[in-house]
Amino acid sequence: MGLGMLASRVMRPTASKLPRNLLSHFHIRPIVSTPESSAAQAQPEPEPTPPPRAPVAGARVHFKNPDDAIEVFVDGYPVKIPKGMTVLQACEVAGVDIPRFCYHSRLSIAGNCRMCLVEVEKSPKPVASCAMPALPGMKIKTDTPVAKKAREGVMEFLLMNHPLDCPICDQGGECDLQDQSMAFGSDRGRFTEMKRSVVDKNLGPLVKTVMTRCIQCTRCVRFATEVAGVQDLGMLGRGSGEEIGTYVEKLMTSELSGNVIDICPVGALTSKPFAFKARNWELKGTETIDVTDAVGSNIRIDSRGPEVLRILPRLNEDINEEWISDKTRFFYDGLKRQRLNDPMIRGADGRFKAVSWRDALAVVAEVAHQTKPEEIVGIAGQLSDAESMMALKDFLNKMGSNNVWCEGNGVNTDADLRSGYLMNSGIAGLEKADVFLLVGTQPRVEAAMVNARIQKTVRATQAKVGYIGPAADFNYDHQHLGIGPQTLIEIAEGRHPFCSALLNAKNPAIIVGAGLFERKDKDAIFSAVETISKYAKVVRPDWNGFNVLLLNAAQAAALDLGLVPESGKSIESAKFVYLMGADDVNMEKVPVDAFVVYQGHHGDRGVYRANVILPAAAFSEKEGTYENTEGCVQQTLPAVPTVGDARDDWKIIRALSEVAGVRLPYDSLGAIRSRIKTVAPNLVHMDEREPATFSASLKPDFSHKMSLTAFGSTIENFYMTDSITRASKIMAQCSALLLKK
Amino acid sequence: MASSVVKNALKAIRERGLGNFFRELKEEGYLNCLSDGNLLQTKIHNIGAKLVGVDKVGNRYYEKLDIQYGRHRWVEYAEKGRYNASQVPAEWHGWLHYITDNTGDELLMLKPKRYGIEHKENFSGEGEELIYHSKGHALNPGQRNWTRYQPWEPTKA
Repeated sequence: MGLGMLASRVMRPTASKLPRNLLSHFHIRPIVSTPESSAAQAQPEPEPTPPPRAPVAGARVHFKNPDDAIEVFVDGYPVKIPKGMTVLQACEVAGVDIPRFCYHSRLSIAGNCRMCLVEVEKSPKPVASCAMPALPGMKIKTDTPVAKKAREGVMEFLLMNHPLDCPICDQGGECDLQDQSMAFGSDRGRFTEMKRSVVDKNLGPLVKTVMTRCIQCTRCVRFATEVAGVQDLGMLGRGSGEEIGTYVEKLMTSELSGNVIDICPVGALTSKPFAFKARNWELKGTETIDVTDAVGSNIRIDSRGPEVLRILPRLNEDINEEWISDKTRFFYDGLKRQRLNDPMIRGADGRFKAVSWRDALAVVAEVAHQTKPEEIVGIAGQLSDAESMMALKDFLNKMGSNNVWCEGNGVNTDADLRSGYLMNSGIAGLEKADVFLLVGTQPRVEAAMVNARIQKTVRATQAKVGYIGPAADFNYDHQHLGIGPQTLIEIAEGRHPFCSALLNAKNPAIIVGAGLFERKDKDAIFSAVETISKYAKVVRPDWNGFNVLLLNAAQAAALDLGLVPESGKSIESAKFVYLMGADDVNMEKVPVDAFVVYQGHHGDRGVYRANVILPAAAFSEKEGTYENTEGCVQQTLPAVPTVGDARDDWKIIRALSEVAGVRLPYDSLGAIRSRIKTVAPNLVHMDEREPATFSASLKPDFSHKMSLTAFGSTIENFYMTDSITRASKIMAQCSALLLKK
Repeated sequence: MASSVVKNALKAIRERGLGNFFRELKEEGYLNCLSDGNLLQTKIHNIGAKLVGVDKVGNRYYEKLDIQYGRHRWVEYAEKGRYNASQVPAEWHGWLHYITDNTGDELLMLKPKRYGIEHKENFSGEGEELIYHSKGHALNPGQRNWTRYQPWEPTKA
């Protein structure tokens, strides 16, 4: 709730009454506005009904059943709302923003802060609007003296034990308590005793606690239990001894723990890496997306000058709701470390020497021309955007090679049917599922936001979750069915007890991990999954429950653009390897005499084998298109300038093509996108999810040629998956402290 | 008055010899007086005035109370050739400009030892190396590093 909105909310009713009130306001104002003082201003003429206001923050009403609509009056203005809505929600629909601390629309209702008190006609006391269901014909009054007095009183009690340290508090400027005490609080306090103080808790390397500032709204406790699915936080003690804590000293081990920073209405839980770094009004916000996993969470990068100072989530109901994972929120310090800032060539002595772009590109072009076309290989990294992958593929094709792929996609992945590599239900669609079968995937580490959806579904509907893979830590109830393909075969043949759950399910969802792409028997596994989906009716016209959970931001777009290698053995015979930010390629397979070009932004695994380094821009510094695992196309926007002499990925390849004499026919982002449009038209429809058209039933049938090696865990360390996160100190701290067994 | 000046001069010649007398004349800037009317006027002004103090660079501060108020304090710069107002150190500035009646020596006793940098005259036009450059200026030898990222070091490869 912005301060401006609150201020105008307070100003509005008084402004109309100002001429009448003016005289009485010249008296010394008492600490609270008493009912008497306003009763004195008996209103001579009936007030006209106020004009309808726009709902708060675009709140929309969705009537599932038109008969359920009830009418309530908010400040005399009638609104239609569905049955079961609370008074607070009714007020929001009516355009009245009620102050609140404990109420959060995505958490259960606690009703313990009392800030949302409103007056309801025929009710003897003010009622807590967040916990009171709206009844037909209810007359809610939000700007009466009683409501005002109630808020002022609650605010005075809240501020009693709240320290006056806003000037040194990191929440200062974006603090709900600060804003609401300006708007609804009294102009003086009567508190003369000592303030309570509470010992700070150690919640780990990410969340800083100043528990004295806590107002016991319990949002963090509810978040931890309901959304993160960990029972780490709780409320201890009673009365003034009440405090939030972990009971025994324990770090918060959730991968979503950073979100408690956002939901904390005061400065009790703040970001540890961001502590004392900046004030929120100094920061420039850039609305972009996250690339550390295949979810494509919507984020806002807050930067000051050339530095990324923090990352916050952006609301997107279809992808990340309003949460982001800790990796997304805190990996940003990796953007400042180990950066490649100059083109470099490895000399005869094995040492790198910084050179000019002209020289570096000339060397690369010369070597590329001396190599036989079939020995040229290009690998796109997991953070590559669609534009640069398109340019890379076009460039290598013009050089005569078609050995270009994206790491993580394996060598024999089928890119022909989009349904074979996308999350066909959609991330939000997972909420409709009632049985999940996870095959070789651990969503908690591979895509924390998808896991949060599954957790939400399991919590809301008691959906069953079956899991095939190595023993793993889930934050919801699940059945561990087995560790490898053996179990999968059993389910496919209908011999497994879990089959009945699948058959009885209304909307079964199968999630296959993209880690299986790297397996040799990938086709057999996928056809087994298809057999299951066929008999369990996973794919129907109204429901497509066949999902592949990808690992990297680049994967989906790479497959859409057709980045699949011509031959599986191409890397072993390569003489010229072009790594576009690819760090997870097995470098030992590359022949010793191969010439390796590394184009990327971080000095990570790839550069140590490279002969030429071309510095590129990271995702926070460029405009690039990414497709997430459900097929939603989104783009990043530059938040900070590039470092050193680095350039955008596609521009480097475009320049290289010109030096090599095979000029690519585009020289702007618009032109490259119209080229993409001819290959994969869905990649230019920004912020739209393009579902796969054909279902996977066109594929070959199930065969038993599966190797029985158990599924491995694809991601060993949730906090370090790509070159940026591996460079990050905060992520290193997290993996040292939180992944300790 | 004029006679006492001559008498003092003769006395000085007698005591120190003619060579020393002329060297002193030169050092005191009397030779510059021939071409510099301002300095000559200051020298004439100084006759009979009270020497209030000498600062650390050798500027001499005079006061003569029977001159018109507001013109009764002045400075004779230690530098006789290229003198300018910025050569007056901070502690004497106030006295010289009638901001305070405390002399620079008195104010110097109040100055905290822990902080404050030494006064420097304005060197504009005297050469780039003498001029103040801000912390980010390219000509500042101690230029601060504004790079906000840490580059990858190829030597570790």
